[in-house]
Amino acid sequence: MPRLSYAAPASVPDAIKLLAGAEGLAKVLSGGTDLLVQLRSGRTRPELIVDTKKIPGIIGIRETEDGFVIGAATSGAEIGENAALVAAYPGVVEGTNLIGSTQVQGRASLAGNLCNASPAADSVPALIAAGAVAVVVGPNGQRNVPVGQIVIAPGRTSLAKGEFILEFHLPKPKAKQSDAYLRFIPRTEMDIAVVGCGVNLTLDANGVITAACIVLGAVAPTQVVVEAAAKAIIGTKLDDAALAALDAAARAACNPITDKRGTIEFRTKIAGVLARRAAKIAYDRAGAR
Amino acid sequence: MPKVSISGSGCRPFIGEQTEFEVEATSFRRLIKELDARFPGLGEHVEETMAVAIDGEIHQDAYGLQLPPDSEIFLIPKIGGG
Amino acid sequence: MNFVANKSELKVVGTRPVRPDGIDKVTGKAMFGADLTMAGTLTGKVLRSPHAHARIVAIDASKALALPGVKAVITAADFPEISSEEAAAGDGAVNFRHMAHNVLARDKVLYEGHAVAAVAATSQAIADAAAALIEITYEVLPFVIDVEAAMADGAPLLHDDIKYNGKPSNITKRVEFKLGDADAGLAEADVVVEGRYETTAVHQGYIEPHAVIASVNPDGQTQIFASSQGQFMIRQYVSKILAMDIANIRVTPAEIGGGFGGKTLVYLEPLAVALSRKAGKPVKMVMNREEVFRATGPTSGGVMTVKIGAKKDGTITGATIDIALQAGAFPGSPVAPACMCAFACYDLKNVRASGFDVVSNRSKIAAYRAPGAPISAFGVESAMDDLATKLGMDPIALREKNAAKAGTKAAYGPVFPEIGFEQVLEAAKSHPHWSAPLGPNQGRGVATGFWFNIGGDSSASVFVNEDGTISVVSGSPDIGGSRASMAMMAAEVLGVPYEKVRPIVGDTAQIGITGMTGGSRVTFATGMATVQAAEKVVDELKKRAAMIWDISPEAVDWKDGEAVPAGANAGGFDPMPLAAIAAKAGKTGGPIGSEVSINAQGAGAGFGAHICDVEVDPETGFVKVLRYTAVQDVGRAIHPSYVEGQIQGGAVQGIGWALNEEYLYDKNGRMDNAGFLDYRVPVASDLPMIEAVVVEVPNKRHPFGVRGVGEVPIIPPLAAVGNAIKAAIGVRMHSLPMSPPKILAAIDGKA
Repeated sequence: MPRLSYAAPASVPDAIKLLAGAEGLAKVLSGGTDLLVQLRSGRTRPELIVDTKKIPGIIGIRETEDGFVIGAATSGAEIGENAALVAAYPGVVEGTNLIGSTQVQGRASLAGNLCNASPAADSVPALIAAGAVAVVVGPNGQRNVPVGQIVIAPGRTSLAKGEFILEFHLPKPKAKQSDAYLRFIPRTEMDIAVVGCGVNLTLDANGVITAACIVLGAVAPTQVVVEAAAKAIIGTKLDDAALAALDAAARAACNPITDKRGTIEFRTKIAGVLARRAAKIAYDRAGAR
Repeated sequence: MPKVSISGSGCRPFIGEQTEFEVEATSFRRLIKELDARFPGLGEHVEETMAVAIDGEIHQDAYGLQLPPDSEIFLIPKIGGG
Repeated sequence: MNFVANKSELKVVGTRPVRPDGIDKVTGKAMFGADLTMAGTLTGKVLRSPHAHARIVAIDASKALALPGVKAVITAADFPEISSEEAAAGDGAVNFRHMAHNVLARDKVLYEGHAVAAVAATSQAIADAAAALIEITYEVLPFVIDVEAAMADGAPLLHDDIKYNGKPSNITKRVEFKLGDADAGLAEADVVVEGRYETTAVHQGYIEPHAVIASVNPDGQTQIFASSQGQFMIRQYVSKILAMDIANIRVTPAEIGGGFGGKTLVYLEPLAVALSRKAGKPVKMVMNREEVFRATGPTSGGVMTVKIGAKKDGTITGATIDIALQAGAFPGSPVAPACMCAFACYDLKNVRASGFDVVSNRSKIAAYRAPGAPISAFGVESAMDDLATKLGMDPIALREKNAAKAGTKAAYGPVFPEIGFEQVLEAAKSHPHWSAPLGPNQGRGVATGFWFNIGGDSSASVFVNEDGTISVVSGSPDIGGSRASMAMMAAEVLGVPYEKVRPIVGDTAQIGITGMTGGSRVTFATGMATVQAAEKVVDELKKRAAMIWDISPEAVDWKDGEAVPAGANAGGFDPMPLAAIAAKAGKTGGPIGSEVSINAQGAGAGFGAHICDVEVDPETGFVKVLRYTAVQDVGRAIHPSYVEGQIQGGAVQGIGWALNEEYLYDKNGRMDNAGFLDYRVPVASDLPMIEAVVVEVPNKRHPFGVRGVGEVPIIPPLAAVGNAIKAAIGVRMHSLPMSPPKILAAIDGKA
């Protein structure tokens, strides 16, 4: 008969010990909005669930002089209500707030969304574009990992046994830096992204783009950082030619599949459209700062 | 004598291409018996699978339904719903 | 009771009191199919076929039976054999052999998800483990899903005994309805439009999955509590499938979380009863959402060709539709009503509608709100829109020019009595929505629809309580607010306030036989029975008052809930309220109550016209519904809020059908999107408020003029949305759903 144990450790070392010492499959429970669904459908059959929400600091947002520290299990709702974070990273926040629905937002977390490792995760593209770093703790100590290196394949992360994410660090944005996230879904809510695009832009005093990062989701096994798209717009004011080049670069970087959520052709087209639209929003936001 | 028209093709196995008849009947029950007498099996088929429309009103399962003398009667497939 | 023509005479009918089941439903107290518990209940679980088409070679349940906690296992061997028999049951003919084989596969599995065996165990976990231990040897067969592929020569055949034109086939029958000579009519047209249209299977999408608890005693007496549109249907179907006496089966309909036609048949009930009989304990079975999608009945998908020809002034001279609908694993698509309704809105001398019913390896279809009609209406109403464009005519004007009215011979045969189609068109035309301005990338479409509405068997009782309050019992499960309407109609007849009348839905032992809730029949037919029962009570109350006053019963009238002397000659008595008569019931003859069972005849047809505005994102194909107005003739709205609710609900389902809903199959013939994540029903944020406009052209055969409302509103939306998209992007969409990738391809194809 299936066995299932639940533990809610109150410290990082205790959590590491439980995860590292588990004999069978052990899963971290953050908000649970993926894990509980997968448990019920039988898609995952862990023997141990480690609830991390009692660990001090794992829920909450702190602004430091270096930027922001977001506890790994902080809910999307709390993220959306943090005015400072919304002002600094509107793209990260809007991506996070698109996960699921209002009810799901009460629990969904950045760590959960990232470690579920879906190519279509909504919070991830903007996090990568922002240069976010995940603080990973485990039996061999702590290591800081750029968010883009956590997911290695659909459903798989680079975390070793016993490791979990404690918090995320976001750097303090430059004076004229901002971001945006757009996704395409056939309805207005409750869909998995057919394509997602996060864009982070930095402008100089004249409105010329000096730095850019464009990240596509749901168009490849993992999120794609499109260097060519960044190059296409750096040094421009995002004029029509730059936008067209951006569109083309985004499309060229796609390696999607055809499945019940979208065809290769459709995803590729939409990637270009969203890259343009997200870049424009990020550009306007950066210029308005 | 009421004139009876059969709508749809469900009765073809019994009556071929013909779709109109005059039938000596003053009630639906009588009509079924007359149709059965003329085309064996047709009466039961109509009783089980068809509804009758008189002056635009549709009746289903109505033995006692009176058929006015010079009425136009339509037999259409029974209708269910969802 | 004669038809009440003057609405202003009505005191309760037409008002909007709170429904009696409202508080229970919003506080979570209401008892739905999965909510009843009995001592010792076992959990039942179904083992389902992983193959789209296969022969069942062997079933070995020994390991499952050996698992501690498993109390029974059943397969088709536990069901009696039913010979090929068509038995008329309720509305239309039901083949119980096919139904039994759908409930539990015998010899062959015909779709992925087809039930093959079931277990009852002391917990869900044990039941799940036991089901996994049942070993089934299959001989996998080639399968066919698509309707045209199933019709083609050489297609894998599902049933040995189905023949068409003398040859074994997946085509089970062909239907044809015609008036005049459609080809000749088309030949004399100045303008002809033709189009091929495709739709896919869609599910009714009720939020509450099927659920049942059944308990069989050793002496055969059986109790069933189930989510269903028909407690008498369950009783009858279980009795046929399991060869049990009807008297031994008592079925209570639970509160229901949606049915829409999908709960007008049985899936779990015979299984739960058979398991309970074997295990000697109650058995509860609840489907999960995946099972609902894979193994219950969506509606048909199909292909159709529509041709309409007209003179320059818009008069239609000829029209045809040829349609093939897939029925799923067993015969019975709604191809006949699809053909009958296709052109029913119009006054046509030359029309032909023909259709094929085709089986294929997918779940057997079930009724879905006006079965068949929305499908053919998609093609016809899209073609009508193209015709209007080609003629340079306003689309509503084109329909007015050809509108069916009283005296029109319907395309499916009978002559229409008084109907409200012209009034519906007029209301649509004069609604501010029709003339509101539109912006860039926006388009407006209109479409119409027709449904017969039915009557049928209904029973109701009205009882007078000792304090003069009233109890009403009817046999119709309440899926749309009907029990409130029963109370309102009884209150109106009795002349008492609505709050003094409490309605319940009776189980099969408490009330006379009543047909299923469906076909838009309850307010009409069960309402008629309720009114007649209330009238009998009024007659009795007058008699009792006469006795109390010691005068002749002819000298007593009933007015506003009181007995009054019929005239000055009757005597100078003060009015006697119902409560006073009730208090003396024991002395004047005994308890006062009445039950009426009828087969209600004279149901009146309903027509609707919907106007839809959309905005299409030209770079992504995303469709936003900006505004939606649904006009419908309901005869008379007993409770306007619930009538509006039906109109809104049907419109929303039609919009989902039009935009994003579809059954997707993978290369193994398995449904690929068996969950609400990827089977995309509209969510609340997807839609604007649906404005329901109620038109009342009463059906005089019903005492209050009711026509029925539930089904018509799902018919116009498919083409209303399609016509709006055509107006927005300039391209006609021929295939449902009109999802963003298809729309983007259409936009890009045009460019």
